[in-house]
Formats: sequence, C-alpha cells, structure tokens
Amino acid sequence: MSHLGDPSAPLLGAGDRTHPARGPIQTLDPRARILAVIGFAGVVILLDQPVALGVALALALTVAALARLPLRRTLRQLAAMDAFVLLMLLMLPFTTPGHALFALGPLTASAEGLRLAVDIALTANAILLMLLALVGELDPVVIGHALHRLRMPTVLVQLLQFTVRYVGLIDAELDRMRIAMRARGFVPGTNWHTYRSLGYALGMLLVRSLERAERVLCAMKCRGFSGRFPVLDTLHFRRIDAGLAALTMLALTGLLLLEWRLG
Amino acid sequence: MRPRFQGPLFTLRGIQFDYPGCGPVLRGVDLALAPGQRLALTGSNGAGKSTLLWLMLGLLTPSRGEIVAFGKPRRVEADFTEVRRRAGLLFQDPDDQLFCPTVLEDCAFGPLSLGWSRAEAIAAADHTLEQLGLGHLRGRVTHQLSGGEKRLVSLATVLCMRPEVLLLDEPTNALDEHTRARLLAILDALPQAMLIVSHDRAFRERLASDEHQLRDGRIAPLAHPL
Amino acid sequence: MHILDGALSLPVLLGASTLAVAGIAKGARELDLQRIPAAGLLSAVFFVASLVHVPIGPSSLHLIMNGLAGLILGWVAFPALFIGLLLQAVLFGFGGLTVLGVNTLNIALPAVIVFYLCRRGVAGPNATLAAVWGATAGALAIALTALGVAAVLALSGEAFIPAAKLVVIGHVPVMLVEGLLCAAAVTLIRRVRPDLLGVMSRSASASASARATAGADSRAPHSSPVQPPSEQPAPVFSEQPARLTR
Ligand SMILES: Nc1ncnc2c1ncn2[C@@H]1O[C@H](COP(=O)(O)OP(=O)(O)O)[C@@H](O)[C@H]1O
Ligand SMILES: [Mg+2]
Repeated sequence: MSHLGDPSAPLLGAGDRTHPARGPIQTLDPRARILAVIGFAGVVILLDQPVALGVALALALTVAALARLPLRRTLRQLAAMDAFVLLMLLMLPFTTPGHALFALGPLTASAEGLRLAVDIALTANAILLMLLALVGELDPVVIGHALHRLRMPTVLVQLLQFTVRYVGLIDAELDRMRIAMRARGFVPGTNWHTYRSLGYALGMLLVRSLERAERVLCAMKCRGFSGRFPVLDTLHFRRIDAGLAALTMLALTGLLLLEWRLG
Repeated sequence: MRPRFQGPLFTLRGIQFDYPGCGPVLRGVDLALAPGQRLALTGSNGAGKSTLLWLMLGLLTPSRGEIVAFGKPRRVEADFTEVRRRAGLLFQDPDDQLFCPTVLEDCAFGPLSLGWSRAEAIAAADHTLEQLGLGHLRGRVTHQLSGGEKRLVSLATVLCMRPEVLLLDEPTNALDEHTRARLLAILDALPQAMLIVSHDRAFRERLASDEHQLRDGRIAPLAHPL
Repeated sequence: MHILDGALSLPVLLGASTLAVAGIAKGARELDLQRIPAAGLLSAVFFVASLVHVPIGPSSLHLIMNGLAGLILGWVAFPALFIGLLLQAVLFGFGGLTVLGVNTLNIALPAVIVFYLCRRGVAGPNATLAAVWGATAGALAIALTALGVAAVLALSGEAFIPAAKLVVIGHVPVMLVEGLLCAAAVTLIRRVRPDLLGVMSRSASASASARATAGADSRAPHSSPVQPPSEQPAPVFSEQPARLTR
C-alpha cells in the first residue's frame, strides 16, 4: 500500500505522544498552533508581491526548522504534487498574455505568466510548510480534541474521531486482502481482472466496515450510550501560547504591511 | 453500589433466533445464571454463542422466547437500557468495543453516559485502570495498543461501569501466555457472576464452576462434566 | 486531483467554500448520533481508498471513489469526504489548506449528484444493468469532479483555461478506471449486503422501507411475540442485518 510517508509507519498517528517534545513548537498548545496556521494561510493567499511571499516562505521555513521537521520526508511531501498541478505551473508562463520573456519553439513565455507561476508556487509552499510544521506533527487524536475546543461542530469532531480510530484497522484489512490476492498469483495490471478484483476488495471493505459500525454502535449502547458524546482532553493554554498568538499577529501584520508598501 | 440482586440474574426460556435468510441459529435455549455463579458456555464455531450474549443484552431480538433479567421480563429496547448497565459484555473483538480516541476517554465513556460527573467518571476510570495494572496506558491512543492491551482495556471499560454480571465472549482469544495468565488472575479475583464463552479448556476449568454446551441451537447436556 | 493554495482567485475561493460549508451542513444534519459510527468508518474507508495506487498503462493513479461514496452516503458524502481531505492536508500535506472547501465541493458534490441519478439504477432487479449503473456512477462522478476543477480554474483567470482543458482530458482514463472499479464494487455489495446501498441517507432508507414488503424490513419478522417494532428507536441499520430475499 502506498503510504505517502514511511511505508512501515502506522497510517495515522504522526507520533507516539509519550515521546518528549522535540522542539519548541511541540510544547505549544495545539489550539494555538491550529489558529496560527489558519491565520497565516488567510493572510498569505492575500499577498501578491513576490517579495512579501518570499518573506512568508522564509517565515514558514524558520518555523519548520524550529519544529525540527524531518528534511527528507518534508521535501517528499512538498514534491508530492499532482502531475496536473505541476504541468499547470509549467504552462502558466506560456498561457498568460503579456511581455514576451523568452521563446520555446512556437511558445513565448510572458513575464506576467512567470510571475503568476512563481506566486502560486511560493504561496502553496509557504502554507504547506507552515501547516506541516505547526499541525502535521500533532497526533490526529489531539487535533480532534483541539478542533472540539475550537468549536468545530460536534458531529464533525466525532466523525473525525471515528475516522482516526478506524483508519488503521481498515488499512490493515485492505492490506491483508491484497496480500491474499497476491498469494493466489494476482499481478496487478491494466486489465478488467485487476479492476474487478480491486473493486471487489473495496466493496468488501465497505461491507465489513459497515458491519463493524453496527457492532460498535452496540458496544456504545452497552455502555449506556444516550446521545451524549464526551470528549476528555488535556489541553492547557499557557502564557507561551499567548506569546505565540502575539507573535503570529505581529508577523501577519508585518506581511500585510509589506505587501501594501510594495504594491 | 446498589445491593446485589438475590434471585437468578438471567433466566432465558425457549429463546429462538435466526438471522434473516440464514436459517435458525437458536432453536429454544433455556439458561439461568445465579448470583455469584461462573458459568462456562462452549460450542463449535458458529454455534450461536455470541448471538446468545447479544440477545441477553437486547442487542438482537429473539423471534420467540422470554428473557428475564434482574427479576423482570425484558422485551423492548427501553427495558434493556437498565440490563446493559448492570451486565457488562466483553465483545469478541476488542476493536469493536474500543471506539474512543484514548484509553481514558474510552473508560470514562460508560460512566459519563450513566450521568456521572466528569470528575467521578475520570476517578472511576483511573481506579479501574490502576486495579487492572493498566494505569500506564491511561493517555494512550486506543488504536495503537497491542492486541493483549486492547483486550485488557476493553475489560476495564466494562468494569468501570461496576456491572453485577460479566458476559465474556472468548476473552482469551489471541492472547499470549503471559497476558492470558494475567487476565485469568484478574477475572478470578472479581466477585461478579460470569457467563464465559471460551474455547480454552484450561481457562474454563480454572474459572468456571459449571459448564454448558450450545449445540444444534439448544443448550445440550454436558458431555464431560467438570 | 487537488488544487494548490494560491492558484484560485479570491471570489472563486470564497464562493466555492461557502457552497462546501452548506453541503457539509446539509450532510451533517442527516447524521444523528446513531449513524455517526457508520459515517466515521465509511469516511475512513474512503480515506484509505484514496491512498490506493491503481495501475494504468505504464503509470498509476490515486483513486477518488467519490461515485461509490455518493451511492452509499448520499449527502453524508460531504462531511465524510471533507474529513478525509482534512486529514490528507494536515498529515500528508496533500492538497492545500485554503482550498479545502473547493476540493471538498469538487469531490463531494459529484457524489451527491451521482446519488440522485444512479441510486435507483444500482438497486434495480437486473444485476447487469445495476453494474452498468455502477460504472456510470463511478465514471460520472470523476467527470463532474474534473469539470468542477476546470471550472474553478477557468473562473480564476484566462491564463488557466488551457490547464483547465488539460485537466478534463487527463481525467478520461481515471473515469474509465473508476467506472470499472465502481461497477465491481456495486456488484459485490449487491451480492453480499444489498441493503447497504444508500444506507446512510435518511431519505433513501425511508423510501426503501416504504417499498419494503414481507422480509425486506428486517425488523419485522422478529418482532412478533416478543418485541413490538414500534417500541424500537429508529435504528441506524436494521437491528438485525437484513438480507434481501428476492
Ligand atoms: N450479522 C449476521 N448476519 C447473518 N448471519 C450471521 C450474522 N452473525 C452471525 N451469523 C451467523 O449466525 C451463526 C452464529 O454466529 P455466532 O453467534 O457469531 O457464533 P459463535 O459465536 O458461536 O461462533 C453463524 O452461523 C453465523 O454465520
Ligand atoms: Mg462468537
């Protein structure tokens, strides 16, 4: 199965929470981190000036360094764009009208197009890097707790928690099915047999998961489930988190000012 | 804790059940469980043991027959709400039972559902976890536990509700020798009446005082009395 | 296909996000507490499915499977697929943060459309016809997703129009593969648990039990002497798993 990270790592569950914090970022309250990245993203998509965007990216790089993001995995994640997206970025200079910059055969690249492509690349990478640095290292369970405290609708939080709880199980189940298929001589290829078998496996996965959901609901009833879904967490907002909030506000205001002065 | 109920805890009479389109599974089961009794239930795979436990808690509905639990006949969903809080079912698959993100939340789920306060629920959860020697798992994420840990934590989630009866569905499945011994010691020290479904002969013999066999949809006379 | 942060114009971003929020809210309203475990497990299934590589020619592609999601989830596809996209973005850096709403809309709206167009077809009496409807559902959902992506790109600026065209053309093989997979999945589900198609949608299950006769409503046969069915709270699923006996 193609996990995007380390294939031997569990599908979800970025880290064992018993690990000591690895950097200053890891000691911050998850809620503050989530709000910071949302604020950052909201500001960065408003920026147009390459310089301002460059500063934003530098900021994201700094935070990523503070978070001690593993270099290799992060680069892989940044590079894991769709072929379409990449193609789109490469096409932009040639499809945007404007001052001709250089020619490639019959195509001419425009300065405006090049700048647009650079803008998009900077924006996307800055936001992505900040997201991975501030939130990506959190355990998904903690993300659920934090979103609950941040007033995300209860239904969605519960949905998230069930998803996080069972994704590993379902992944393992699909893995076992695929191993069983291979053990019987199955070689995936571009043919009806492959697509049918995979379709069967996915259909079976759905059926089994829904049957498990019935049993889970029974287990909930057995424990007096009455419609209330308690969330217990250990989140504490401390002075250092207020510091992060202030710093974020400062940085974002700075970015906006820079954009305004340059524009 | 409420005073223990003195009469039979469960009395089943002529329970019949079939899954739609699958032919009859149970064809008239009679069973009684007395306070303090530890009753083992055996039967081949697919004999309907799990089904029987589910019926006892109203998770399935018999097509015919009567279930009396804690002195009252139980028929509709509302009747079983009380039964479920007084009788704890240990599911065959711990992954069905542990549905909360963390161990503590899972243990506190039952007490909170019973309307206990947050502090009481957490205290009960912590107390039970300590009692079972699982205190160190408190903050762990449930889906990252090992199989044996999951089994013991599921037992903790059941015990947190202070049930009067335990219904155990193949509790030693897939446990290593050490964890199995630990589970046995824990269960053996508990005062509750138990109905134990198990294929583990030594385990049954250590724990149970009586043994029934489910065969052809009925409780059959015992082939080898203990 | 995921759109990047920064590629779309602000009005498009805001418009699409608003629509996505409306869709998520509508789907969430269909989720009472009894359905949440099922919806959560299904959103996990589609999350896992979206990580599967399927070979096609010399290359391979990621599945989306929003057609199948629509057939089973109806409007609940919106919150369920949103959760999947959220996790992908946050944990793998897959897709952007500000385009979460756009991506949700582009993937979940086709699922809902497919639900209305194809659900009856995949539940019909003829197995071959049902498979054809399944294939239609799988392929159509991808086609609509590609069109949605193309539309938000084209609306964001003329420079994106060639890229938008490319997206539509590039998704043709994906359509074919997902159509075939969806047909197979529908065939399997019809054989194993036909009652599950559309199980998450209130409107669908209501109409299903209205149409149900004799054994189709699984609660009925067991209710006779012991348990009057009217006393039961509305179950997520039938209390006993139903096997349609046709
Ligand atoms: N959800 C279900 N739908 C249809 N048949 C089922 C279902 N669950 C169990 N069965 C069937 O009922 C019988 C009894 O199952 P079960 O009670 O789980 O057996 P045991 O626990 O004794 O191994 C088996 O033949 C099984 O195939
Ligand atoms: Mg069993």
